[in-house]
Amino acid sequence: MDAAFLDRLKSLNKKYVIFSELADDVPPGSSFEFHFSAKDNLCTSDFQTRAGSRILEGYRPPFDATPVRRMREAGGLLVGKTNMDEFGFGTFSTNSGYGVPRNPFDADRSCGGSSGGAAAAVCLLDGHVALGVSTGGSISCPASFCGVVGLTPTYGRVSRYGLVDYGNSLDKVGILARSSSTLGKYLPIIAGPDPMDPTSCSQSRLLLDRVKIESIAVPEEAMEDIHPDVRIAFDRAVDTLEESMSVKVEEVSIPSLTFALPAYYVLATSEASTNLARFCGMRFGARGGDVTQHFNDFFSKTRSENFGKEAKRRILLGTYSRMVGFRNRYYLKALAVRQTVIRDYERVLKDHTLVATPTMPFVSPRFTDIKRMRLIDMYRADFLTVPPNLAGLPHISVPCGYADSMPIGMQLVARHWDEGVLLSAADSWEGAFQYRFPEAI
Amino acid sequence: MEPEIVKKVARIARLQLTEAEIGEFARDLEEVLEYFSMLDEASGAEEYDFNPVKIQDVLREDSVGQNIDPELLTRMMDTYEEWVRGPRLI
Repeated sequence: MDAAFLDRLKSLNKKYVIFSELADDVPPGSSFEFHFSAKDNLCTSDFQTRAGSRILEGYRPPFDATPVRRMREAGGLLVGKTNMDEFGFGTFSTNSGYGVPRNPFDADRSCGGSSGGAAAAVCLLDGHVALGVSTGGSISCPASFCGVVGLTPTYGRVSRYGLVDYGNSLDKVGILARSSSTLGKYLPIIAGPDPMDPTSCSQSRLLLDRVKIESIAVPEEAMEDIHPDVRIAFDRAVDTLEESMSVKVEEVSIPSLTFALPAYYVLATSEASTNLARFCGMRFGARGGDVTQHFNDFFSKTRSENFGKEAKRRILLGTYSRMVGFRNRYYLKALAVRQTVIRDYERVLKDHTLVATPTMPFVSPRFTDIKRMRLIDMYRADFLTVPPNLAGLPHISVPCGYADSMPIGMQLVARHWDEGVLLSAADSWEGAFQYRFPEAI
Repeated sequence: MEPEIVKKVARIARLQLTEAEIGEFARDLEEVLEYFSMLDEASGAEEYDFNPVKIQDVLREDSVGQNIDPELLTRMMDTYEEWVRGPRLI
């Protein structure tokens, strides 16, 4: 890690737009054991933290988020902040205020979102480890589209102190890398209780002992509306699990999965609309203008000029869902549905070690196709990644096939706190399936 | 969705929208809320929590401390002498 390495990153960034900010130089006289990046919604004292939003332009936090601090203390060099959808609002990283990251396998296609820059950085840089954040699939989706491994730990496993919140009951900090062994090395560093985040203080011990994967459940509800290329790759992966890894695979039914997506969007937008109330031109980033204005005008002007379209849309949706008269119909019902989804997963995971599905219903789309997608179809694209996120269950996306050179991902879901089971499964999978990375790199 | 409702929600959310945005968001919200209405058919558990895993309350004794220098916090804000400047309230 030297000036030449940073020059290489700059040159890659010109082509792929994966970092929203990069280190200028390596601190002199210091030695680092590894290089890592942080998604731009994790606070860092030496880089701006803008969460992909223009409203946070210029915001430089006075502290590091706990996962970032722990990575530095373990000998990591933070090389930059990775590009993302504004506040995590998106599936393709096309909602960033700082350019659109491009897929290393095909620059005309999306990296996925919202941790798009993180997945692309790992795909392009051997040995790199990227801190990502998932609310409804923002680690699994880009891992699938960029052909890397993405681990979303149990809700509460990794401290969120210093995270720019999207949905507090959903946000999880995780890791992306090229292999499960790298994830297994760095997860213990960022995991563990942190008094600054009470949700991290109720966790059970992280166990990474190797576990034999006995049986995997495939929910039939997840196999509808899957592109044939993905279906073929997933079916082949299931054959490999059965034949090479001697895992029993069984189709099951989890009816509540059908309702996970609307429940997620109600909760996520409700929580986002309150979290984003703090961005009003006073404390963070973009400053409001004339202070002689009434506060309503001052706040509204800054917010209207600096939030992107998707942020405005989600604020409106969340505000509406929480209004008197709709709260019971939407918000409270969504909380109840989440509990049903958790119970249904628990029922299936009593008899099976893991639940497996494809990660995304299609390979990474071209930007021209994304422009033509209807809003509801964009939201529906998350229907496989949302259920474990809604339920706070740990999950991992591993590459499981390629269609026309574009990677396809398989998502494995485990019981709460069983990250070790996921890493065991991914490690065994890597013994049976060879990952590919773009040749030109 | 009626544009008047979008205007009302935007006012609550402190967003100033153009007429074109109001029309666009009215259509978007209608489409998404129609999708949300699926939830009417869902059978939800009778009990629910606000977190997906059990979170125990963490209590401690109050103690005086200062983790971050106030000067660092105010560096990001509009200040006048030792005061933070903001818009008028009335």
